Amino acid sequence: MNDQTKIDQDRAERTEKLQGMGCKRKRVEDVRFTQGKGSYVDDLKLPGMLFGDFVRSPHAHARIKSIDTSRAKALPGVVAVLTAADLKPLGLHYMPTLAGDVQAVLAEEKVLFQNQEVAFVIAEDRYIASDATELVDVEYEALPCIVDPFKSMLPDAPILREDIQDKMEGAHGPRKHPNHIFEWKIGDKEATDAVFANADVTIKEMLVDHRTHPSPLETCQSVASFDKVKGELTLWGTFQAPHVIRTVVSLISGLPEHKIHVIAPDIGGGFGNKVGAYAGYVCSVVGSIVLGVPVKWVEDRMENLSATSFARDYHMTTELAATKDGRIQAMRVHVLADHGAFDACADPSKWPAGFMNICTGSYDIPTAHLAVDGVYTNKASGGVAYRCSFRVTEAAFAIERAVELLAQKLGMDAAELRIKNFIKPEQFPYQSALGWEYDSGDYHTAMKKAMDTIGYTELREEQAKKREAFKRGETRELMGIGISFFTEIVGAGPAKNCDILGIAMFDSAEIRIHPTGSVIARMGTKSQGQGHETTYAQIIATEIGIPADDIMVEEGNTDTAPYGLGTYGSRSTPVAGAATAVAARKIKAKAQMIAAHMMEVHEGDLEWDVDRFRVKGLPEKFKTMKEIAWAAYNAPPPNMEPGLEAVNYYEPPNMTYPFGAYFCVMDIDVDTGVAKTRRFYALDDCGTRINPMIIEGQVHGGLTEAFACAMGQEIRYDEQGNVMGASFMDFFLPTAVETPHWETDHTVTPSPHHPIGAKGVGESPHVGGVPCFSNAVNDAYAFLGAGHIQMPHDAWRLWTVGEKLGLHT
Amino acid sequence: MEMNGSQRIEAPREEVYAALNDVDVLRQCIPGCQSIEKTSDTEMNAKVTLRIGPVKASFTGKVTLSDLNPPNGYTISGEGSGGMAGFAKGGAKVDLVPDGEATILNYAVKAEIGGKIAQLGSRLIDGTAKKLAGDFFAKFSEIVGPQPLVEDAETEEAETEEAAVKKGWVGRLRDSL
Repeated sequence: MNDQTKIDQDRAERTEKLQGMGCKRKRVEDVRFTQGKGSYVDDLKLPGMLFGDFVRSPHAHARIKSIDTSRAKALPGVVAVLTAADLKPLGLHYMPTLAGDVQAVLAEEKVLFQNQEVAFVIAEDRYIASDATELVDVEYEALPCIVDPFKSMLPDAPILREDIQDKMEGAHGPRKHPNHIFEWKIGDKEATDAVFANADVTIKEMLVDHRTHPSPLETCQSVASFDKVKGELTLWGTFQAPHVIRTVVSLISGLPEHKIHVIAPDIGGGFGNKVGAYAGYVCSVVGSIVLGVPVKWVEDRMENLSATSFARDYHMTTELAATKDGRIQAMRVHVLADHGAFDACADPSKWPAGFMNICTGSYDIPTAHLAVDGVYTNKASGGVAYRCSFRVTEAAFAIERAVELLAQKLGMDAAELRIKNFIKPEQFPYQSALGWEYDSGDYHTAMKKAMDTIGYTELREEQAKKREAFKRGETRELMGIGISFFTEIVGAGPAKNCDILGIAMFDSAEIRIHPTGSVIARMGTKSQGQGHETTYAQIIATEIGIPADDIMVEEGNTDTAPYGLGTYGSRSTPVAGAATAVAARKIKAKAQMIAAHMMEVHEGDLEWDVDRFRVKGLPEKFKTMKEIAWAAYNAPPPNMEPGLEAVNYYEPPNMTYPFGAYFCVMDIDVDTGVAKTRRFYALDDCGTRINPMIIEGQVHGGLTEAFACAMGQEIRYDEQGNVMGASFMDFFLPTAVETPHWETDHTVTPSPHHPIGAKGVGESPHVGGVPCFSNAVNDAYAFLGAGHIQMPHDAWRLWTVGEKLGLHT
Repeated sequence: MEMNGSQRIEAPREEVYAALNDVDVLRQCIPGCQSIEKTSDTEMNAKVTLRIGPVKASFTGKVTLSDLNPPNGYTISGEGSGGMAGFAKGGAKVDLVPDGEATILNYAVKAEIGGKIAQLGSRLIDGTAKKLAGDFFAKFSEIVGPQPLVEDAETEEAETEEAAVKKGWVGRLRDSL
C-alpha cells in the first residue's frame, strides 16, 4: 500500500464516520417512532386540564335562530360552553385567514358549511364534553345552499357571506359577485388569443382536480395553557408552521409575542392540513384564558375530513395550441377555484392561486395566459397544498393531461410530443411565459433514462397487440401506459414575491458547537415525518466534519428555535437546508481562524480535510473540528470572542425546480372497472441528494398519496351539502393491500443557486404521480374514443365508462 | 332521495283513507314512532326513533297532511330534527285506486336528510328508506286489511325490528342464505 492509497483510505474512513450528505443514514427519529415513544399533542397531560369539543352544524347553509346551552351546562362535569356571543365582545368570533379573508371561529348568525363550528363545550373529560355537545339546542332555519361552484356567481345565487356582502374589494382586487373571492390573471392574453386564432391544431378540455383532503393519521389538535400570574400563554399544537401560529395568536389575542410560547411536538403527518389556523386552536386558547386551566382540543376523524382544510377543487378549462408537427405554441387556462365558505387556503399572501402559473410545465411554451376565479360555496373552507407546493399538483395535472390530449389529436406518441417540446438543457435558467425562472434541468437525459429502463417501445408494442386482441374479443383487459414529466416549483421563497401576512418567507438555522465537539442545531422548520433530525444533521456533518450522530436537531419550540416559516411546499431543504449550510460555513470560517492560531500558521496555509484543518503540504499537522471546538471556548485567538456558533436567516434568491419522469403501466378489467397497476417507475431529479434512503421513502409516500387521489380519494358533497367523504368508510386511504409496488430512480441536476445544490423532493412524487395514474387510465380507454375521463378513477366510475362506451354486453 | 311504490290493501278505499287519517293507526305504523299527538285536523307532533347505519337518533318534528282529497288520497309530509345526528324532511304523495273490493295504494316519496346520518349512513339510506316504507305498509295492511300480505321480497325484507331481534343473528344469517 503506497502513501496516497493510505491517505485516501483514511479519508474515506473518516468520511464514512461522519454519516454526512449522500449516505443512507438510518432515520434517528425512528428509534422513538417505531417503539411508540413519540410524544404527540394528545400525549400531553397537564394538571387540571379540561377538554373541549365542538357542536357542529348539520346544515350546509342555515340561519341560526337560537342557541340554548342550558341543558349542556347542567350536565355534571361540564365547565363552560362558548358560543359566538361569548367571543364577539373579544373580537374573536372571526379570525383572519392566511389568504386575507376572515373565517368564523364560532358561527354567529349563519352556518355556511356542514360541520361548521357552532359552540365549544369544555368539560372535565373528553367523553363528558362529547356527550354535552348533544345537549346544546340549536334552532336553524335552513337556507338554499350552493354546492356546485359553477352556480356560485349566478345572478340569483343565494348570498353566502353576508358579513362581507357589501365589500366589493377583496384582498386580491375587485369582486364580481358577492360569492366571488378574487380574479387572478397572468400572462399575455392578447398574444395568446392571437396564437389560438391562427393555430393549426388546438385542444380544449375541462380538467377537474377534484376536492380531496390531506388526511394525516394524527388529526389537528392543541393544548392551551394560560398562566394568569405571568400573563403568558403556552400553546402546544400540530403546527407545520409554529412561528407563524405564534405571530397570528399574538395579532388576534393582543398578547405580546414574547409572552406566547408555541410548541409543536412530534407530528403524525401534515401534508398541508396543519398549516392554517383553526377554530379549535382559538377556542382552546380562549377557554384556557377564561378558565385559567389548560384546555385540550383533539379533532376526531370525521371532524378532520369535513371541517379542517381540504385540498384541490380546481375546475380547469385547459387549452393548447400547436403546429401540425407538434410544436406547442400557446397555452390558455381558466380555473374556477372552489374555496368553500371562507378563503382559508394557505398560499403565500400575494398568490391567491398559489403557483398555478407553473402550468406550462416542462415545455418551452412561448405564449400563455392563465386566469383564476375563486368562489365561495357551502363547503368546508381551505384549498391547502396537499403534499405539493401551492397548487402545483393542479398545474401539473392540467399540463400533463393536456399534452396527452394533444398527442391524441395529433396522432403522435405522447412521449415523443413531450420530448419535442421540452425546455432544452442550454435554455436554463429558463424564463417561462407565466413568469418563473427555472433554475436548472436536464429533461432529455431524464426522459431517455426512464424510457430505456421501463422499455417504453416494447410496452407500446404490447399495448398495440392487446388492443387488437380486445377488438377481436380475445381479452376483456385494457392496457394503459401513463406518462408524466413534471416540473415542480418549491422552496418558497424569495422575499420579493413570497410572504405570509407580510412575513417574508425566509427560513433559519442556528448551530451551536459545544466545547466537547457535539452540536445542537435549531431550525425554523418543523418535521411532520420528513426526517429532519436525520437530514439536517447530515448537511452539518459534511459541512463542519462532526459526525451526524453527535448532532442534535431540534425544531418546533418557538422560544428556542430561530424564527422560520415552517414546513410545507417542500421548502425545508431548499430554504432551511440552505440556512443550515450557510450557518455551518460561518462556523467553519471561524474554526479556520482558530485552527490557524492553534497551529501558529496563516489561515491561508490551511486546507479543509473531511473533519479537520490541516497545513497544506504537511498532512500530519492538523487540528480536528473537535479540538478546535474546545479551543474556541477555552483558548480562542486574542481579540476573538469565545464560542463557536452561528445563525443564518436564509432568503432564497429563487425557487428550486425539481422534476421527474414517471411511467405507469396499468391493466383495467373492462367489466368490473378494477384497475391494477402492473408497474410504476418514478425517476426523480431533486439536485444534490442528502439521504437517498429518505428520498426513496418520501417518493414511496408521495406516490401512495398520488395513487389515492387519482384512483378514488374524494371529498364529495351531495346536493343538500352533506359531506359524503367524511369517514374512512367512504374516503379512500390506501393500505399496503391496495398500494402498488414502486420502482424508483434518479438523475442529479444540482440547483445552481442553492448552497449545496439541493432541491425539494418530498412532494414531487405526488405532483407527478396524480397525472401519471390518470394518464394511464385515460390511455387505456383512448382507442375506444372515451374522451377525457375525470378523476377519481375508482372501479365504479371506470365501470361506468365501459357502460357508456357500450363495452358491456 | 326519491322512491315510488305501490301496495295492495284488502280493504275498500274509504276505509283505507280513514285509516290514513287516524292518528292511532299512524302511530302503530310509523316505524320507531314513540309518540304522535294531533294538534289540529291536519297537523301532528311526532317523536320517532330511527337507526340508519351506525347512527341512532331520536327525531322530534311536525307531521302535516295536505292536498286532502277524500277518498282519493293526500300528501303527508314531515320535518324532524335529531340534534347532532342531523335532520330529515320529506313527504309522500299517496293515491288510492279501487281494485274490486281492495285498494291499490300508490306512493311517491321524496326525502332529504342531513347531518351525521347523511354523512355516515348515505350508502344505507335507500335500503333503509325502502325498509321503513315496507315496515309501514306491512303494518298498515295488517291493521286495515283482513290479512297481512306477504307477496314480494320487499315485504319480506320489511320484517319488523322486534321479530329480527327475536330471531337473533344466526337466524337472520340463515334467512339470508
